[in-house]
Amino acid sequence: MSRHWRAPFSLLLSAFLLPLCASAANSFENTAIVRIVDLGGALVHLTTTYAIRALEDGSNVYTIALGEQEHGHTSWLEAKLKGQTERLPLEDFGYHKDSGVYLYTVELPKALNVNQTANLVIETVQTHATYPWPEEAAQKDPQSLKYHSELLVLSPYKTAVQRTKIKSPSPQVHSYTTPESVEFTTDAVVTKAGATITYGPFYNIPPSATGTFVDKKQKEIVVHYALDFPVLEVTKLERAAEISHWGANLNIEDNYHFHNAGPRLKGHFSRLEHQSQGYFGRPAPHVIPSLQLHLPAGIHNVYYYDLVGNVSTSALRTTPSIPKGAEANRFSVLEMRPRYPIMGGWNYSFTLGWDSPLADYAGFDSKTGKYVVGVPIMTVIPGTVIDDAEVKIILPEGATDIDYYAPYPALSERISTHISYLDTVGRPKVTLKYKQLTDKHGGVIYVTYKVPSTAHLRKAIASATALLGFFALGLAVKRLDTRIRRK
Amino acid sequence: MLLLPLLALLSLPFCLAAISAESAHEKLVKLAASNNGLIKLDDSLYGLLTHPKRTWSASVHLTAMDPRRRCTPCKEFDPSFSAVAKAWTHVPQAQRDTHFFATADFDNAMGTFQKLGLQSAPVVHIHLAAEGDRRPASGRSAPIVYDFSNGFDAGPLAEQLSAYTPVAIPYKAPIDFAKYGTAAGVALIILSGIRFFLPILRSRWAWAAGTVLTSLVMTAGFMFVRIRGMPASGANGQWIAPGYQNQYGQEVQVVSFVYGLLSAAFLMLTLVTPYQTHSSRQRLQVYLWSGVIFVMFSVLISLFRVKNRGYPFKLLL
Amino acid sequence: MPLAYSLPSNLSPATVTNTSSLLRIISLALISGAAIASRLFAVINFESIIHEFDPWFNYRATRVLAEKGFYAFWNWFDHTAWYPLGRVVGGTIYPGLMATSGVIYNVLHALNLPVDIRNICVLLAPGFSALTAWSTYMFTKEMKDESAGLLAAAFIGIAPGYISRSVAGSYDNEAIAIFLLMFTFYSWIKALKTGSAFFGTLTALFYFYMVAAWGGYAFITNMIPLHALTLILMGRFSSRLYVAYSSWYAIGTLASMQVPFVGFQPVRTSEHMAALGVFGLLQIVAFAELVRAHVSSKQFQSILFGSVIGIGLLGALAFGGLTYKGWIAPWTGRFYSLWDTGYAKKYIPIIASVSEHQPTAWPSFFMDLQFLIFLFPAGVVLCFRELRDEHVFVIIYAVVASYFAGVMVRLMLTLTPVVCVAAAVAFSSLLDTYIDPVEPEASDAAASPAEGTSAAGAAAAASDAGSSKKAKKAAAPDPGVASGILAAVAPSGSGPKSRGIFGLDTRGLVVFNALGMLLFFVLHCTYVTSSAYSSPSVVLASTNPDGSQHIIDDFREAYYWLRQNTPEDAVVMSWWDYGYQIAGMADRPTLVDNNTWNNTHIATVGKAMSSSEEVAYPILRKHDVDYVLVIFGGLIGYSGDDINKFLWMVRIAQGVWPEEIQEPNYFTPKGEYRIDDAAPATMKNSLMYKMSYYRFAELFGGNQAVDRVRGQQVPKTGPTLDYLDEAFTSENWIVRIYQVKKEDPLGRDLKAANAFANGKKRKKSKPLSRRRAVA
Repeated sequence: MSRHWRAPFSLLLSAFLLPLCASAANSFENTAIVRIVDLGGALVHLTTTYAIRALEDGSNVYTIALGEQEHGHTSWLEAKLKGQTERLPLEDFGYHKDSGVYLYTVELPKALNVNQTANLVIETVQTHATYPWPEEAAQKDPQSLKYHSELLVLSPYKTAVQRTKIKSPSPQVHSYTTPESVEFTTDAVVTKAGATITYGPFYNIPPSATGTFVDKKQKEIVVHYALDFPVLEVTKLERAAEISHWGANLNIEDNYHFHNAGPRLKGHFSRLEHQSQGYFGRPAPHVIPSLQLHLPAGIHNVYYYDLVGNVSTSALRTTPSIPKGAEANRFSVLEMRPRYPIMGGWNYSFTLGWDSPLADYAGFDSKTGKYVVGVPIMTVIPGTVIDDAEVKIILPEGATDIDYYAPYPALSERISTHISYLDTVGRPKVTLKYKQLTDKHGGVIYVTYKVPSTAHLRKAIASATALLGFFALGLAVKRLDTRIRRK
Repeated sequence: MLLLPLLALLSLPFCLAAISAESAHEKLVKLAASNNGLIKLDDSLYGLLTHPKRTWSASVHLTAMDPRRRCTPCKEFDPSFSAVAKAWTHVPQAQRDTHFFATADFDNAMGTFQKLGLQSAPVVHIHLAAEGDRRPASGRSAPIVYDFSNGFDAGPLAEQLSAYTPVAIPYKAPIDFAKYGTAAGVALIILSGIRFFLPILRSRWAWAAGTVLTSLVMTAGFMFVRIRGMPASGANGQWIAPGYQNQYGQEVQVVSFVYGLLSAAFLMLTLVTPYQTHSSRQRLQVYLWSGVIFVMFSVLISLFRVKNRGYPFKLLL
Repeated sequence: MPLAYSLPSNLSPATVTNTSSLLRIISLALISGAAIASRLFAVINFESIIHEFDPWFNYRATRVLAEKGFYAFWNWFDHTAWYPLGRVVGGTIYPGLMATSGVIYNVLHALNLPVDIRNICVLLAPGFSALTAWSTYMFTKEMKDESAGLLAAAFIGIAPGYISRSVAGSYDNEAIAIFLLMFTFYSWIKALKTGSAFFGTLTALFYFYMVAAWGGYAFITNMIPLHALTLILMGRFSSRLYVAYSSWYAIGTLASMQVPFVGFQPVRTSEHMAALGVFGLLQIVAFAELVRAHVSSKQFQSILFGSVIGIGLLGALAFGGLTYKGWIAPWTGRFYSLWDTGYAKKYIPIIASVSEHQPTAWPSFFMDLQFLIFLFPAGVVLCFRELRDEHVFVIIYAVVASYFAGVMVRLMLTLTPVVCVAAAVAFSSLLDTYIDPVEPEASDAAASPAEGTSAAGAAAAASDAGSSKKAKKAAAPDPGVASGILAAVAPSGSGPKSRGIFGLDTRGLVVFNALGMLLFFVLHCTYVTSSAYSSPSVVLASTNPDGSQHIIDDFREAYYWLRQNTPEDAVVMSWWDYGYQIAGMADRPTLVDNNTWNNTHIATVGKAMSSSEEVAYPILRKHDVDYVLVIFGGLIGYSGDDINKFLWMVRIAQGVWPEEIQEPNYFTPKGEYRIDDAAPATMKNSLMYKMSYYRFAELFGGNQAVDRVRGQQVPKTGPTLDYLDEAFTSENWIVRIYQVKKEDPLGRDLKAANAFANGKKRKKSKPLSRRRAVA
């Protein structure tokens, strides 16, 4: 999992936090917590708003707690003040044994005094939080998923009022649990209006980030809902970005492994039914007949092939490249059709690559004499999770003192050499590995490096010398007399 | 006329009921022996031969030899079948009587033909044994139809029937004395006249003619006609076979003639004309041969366009 | 002497030679360029993809070689082919092709040129065609001179007859074999001319390469001995011949036995006996010559002569005896079917069923060689004119190759080179005659009529019978011609004075005519190559109404589905044509494939396809088949589908199980081959029919379903399947894949189980309706 936070830094803070439940409990209280869950396919977006009130002066570190199951699914976590855009620094304190929760602390921009309030918005994205139910569906059947969650939002502080809203993508919700014997509330635990299910409000909840509370009071809720669009997962993505100064070109090649995570196809695929569905314009919700990819602007000679050659069925609409600094909201749209419609549980893998002018991504810093190249980590496909991602950035031959800045830390990162056409010493290659990337993770990796002018000429010189040597050899052989007997 | 077969048909079940398999077998053996290995069938005999309890197998040849029926293949095939039947008589008694050869002519066994619903002749049915140790594992009782794809010769017939007989049919093709005789004669003539033939064998131009002729004929598709057995010319007198991978015998002659003419013209231009020491005559020849080349080439192209419709190029015509 | 047109006189001979050699190099480079370029249509129109069927196996083997190294490739046992038998690949292929591209691959990677192995395989054939052009140039140079060589190179560079098997992507043995053939022949001729053991060894080495590369090496194995024998019979035995032949045979045979697939054949089979026999004969003759050189007694020589012949006869008898005893294997079927043309159809239907083994009709000769085909005899005649040893070779080659090409379409390939050579000789001597500016001085030396008539006869002999009348006509009125012919047929001894062309217009006309033909030839080749020989048969192209190209990609669609969505070890059954493609693209085990070494196994598949479900099911289960794949063109009219190949399956199955499968049962009583209502029951119940037309009629809604290939109406109520499930059908229904059901868990017969299931459904629906009726 890769989240957006800094690595734990201040001993002081941690020292202060260790006796957490004791000390933190009286620094804040939550006047209200509202959690909104946007159900989807592979991804579920959660927005939790904490209205907090300080109980002490100068308290500026607020603590968030995630239950184990919740934490297992969460792959993106960011904190903001309501109505503001910049993220607040977030710090991981990992698993807290005696309370059985995962703790994060948010550093408020300015310390609050007693009775001062703030609205903290925590956005999280969960992956693999849903699963198809029923697990098999025939070609005509609809598709529905199940989502498991916990009733109460955990917090190390007292909470005055709290409610959880679950929004289903479609109004038809097959079922949802009504937890029995819930405290903190007088009237109905759950109400349903249209596609929205509201749990709560619950009043006067004690600090809930404790093992005892989780065991005693926490309840599990399950929502079973219909989904009208396919659940697409990218089980593996390998991106290789090759920078060429001679060609002023940035070549990006993605190698996708798709998997349709919707209900498995029951029985067998019948082309007849598929064609008739297409003919009557009622495509099954769990079939992926084609896919729209938003590639960057200004790209050319896009290629799209798989293990057995070109895939002839794809259409591309390119747009000219955007001047630097302008708002990048224009894309080249690739309408690509797999060789066969991807039914539930089927796989499909292919390779997609393109060239783009280096000027769109690179710049030269004359002060440091370094080149700066920004390589996008991935092509964002909305509502899709990428389980394993590996990004390779191949720098020009002879590039020295290389630094790179990823928007969020990678699980593993290393620099190796990569040998390509007519290389003599090979090119440095930066490799970054990620897991569970969501549509929030679309970012840019910035790489800075120096290329001495001699390195530019190396290839030309090498090939020239090789050819000259060849000719010289030819001359020598021509003039050599191999006869045994003189004529 | 039609009454007779009907009667025969009616009588069939009775005679079947009457005669048990054993007695039927003896009768068949006698019949076979009498008419060197071949039983002439009528409807009742057919019923007898294809007895539901038969312990023997039989190959039945259904044909129409009567000239009124105008069945040429029947006439073609009949001798080979009887030849095979005759060959069967040479196998030892024990095996011989477990397989019978029989011929049913349409005019004697009309009922049988109607029963089997046959429109065409000749047909050969192989009835496997229905009982006894020679009963096939599949227990198949329906007759097996002989496949004429290898032609009407006795050789393949014996070969394929041997698959159903207890022992292989000892059929040997009669030696074709005529062929060997002629071959020997030709060889003798050549040997005796070697003195006269030697200069021809020695002369390079004889060989040249031979070589060139061979290559011309071959490249004009002679082997195609030979192997596919194409007729010299198609029905309604057309001599160009439609279709790209197809041709008639006459095309070989025409095409090879055109090829020959063209290459002769080239040779003339290359070898002969330069030796013409009279300038105007030489000029005449050059123009003549060039003309020949041009015209014949365009003729060839137009021929090719007939065969290959899609071909876009053409010269004169 | 008079000149037709003036030449620059102030050129030093050195300049002339240098310029001409430079021009030669340039034009050879251009020819190679043209040869490569004209083979790239397939890549440009479609993509860089391996074509057809066999190349897919070669490609797969090459990948193994490139990834796992040579020894792994050498000991490669392919478990996935011929399931469950498997196949020892290393010992059952000609590794030359794979080795070649493997070497190229490794060299390029050593130079840090990481070229994809697929592109190497795709572009190997065009690359080698350039080499072929070069070796043809060398060969023809030995026949006549450089100019003829250049013409020959240009001809073979673009002749469709050769392009048809060497376009980019047709990665087959022939791709390199023709180069090897021509170069072996060239070095043989060279060795024969110079009598150098070096060239003899070179011949042997390239012969070895050829043996490692193509089964057609037997052609060389018999051509060279035939040539040598002819030379001996013509009394042209010489030490040069002895050296050349002995060095070639000794080294070549030993080398060729190193190829595992060949092994001991060179001493055990009839195809190779000619070479051995001639080798022995040469030794005898050489010995005789030696003795004759030392002893000079008339009768002794005659005795010697007799004894030589006697020993020769003895050798022949010994050979016959060995064959009879079975020490020497008789001709194998494939070779034998070249002589006895009816043989294959009767005894090896698998060979007969291949389309490229059919005889050749004249249009395809013309298609592949255009005007070369009638220049070819002229060239042969010219070879007869000055009958040097190498010309004898060309003549033999001409006769043999034209016969073979007539018998088998495929062998057009071996004919093409000699046609190009002969035509080039003819064409260049024509141009020589008419470009040469020297004019003879006019004189009126009339020849005597007697001479004329005799000469006319000679003329008749000189040109062929087809044109003898013409020749006579030309000769009769004009004794001048006759004398010309006399001079012509006499080996060219006559000086330039008496021979030549008058005037400029004649020259202009002929040269213009010739150039026109060359131009036409180029147009023809381009047209044929682009239209006929450049489609990769894996991808089909059709044109949309608006004329744009529409790609039909069903094969790869289905194969890729198999690859991605079936278990690794799922066994796929299909007719043998598609075995290699399935192995290559779908990467799944197959029952049979295009290397048709096991007739019974193929017949088993044929039986399963052509018998009813109940019969086929046990067969499928016994071979644990998981998927069955059929090709069906009925929807879009793809004529090469399995229903059209069905009769071959039946025939081959019949060959092994004559009692259970009979071809006549698949025809209507009238002997027609039909798939509509009138189709016979056997046909309708056959697995192939059912799988092809399963739910086909439903596609047309209520309308009458029509099979676009057979042009017949498909029955409204289509066949039902009890033992198989439709697993996948490609976009245009070309490929249909069925899954074989496992046995019923309750141990019922699957048919019963199905019936039960359907029955239950009906029962369930009934009470509902009744309830509705009540309400």
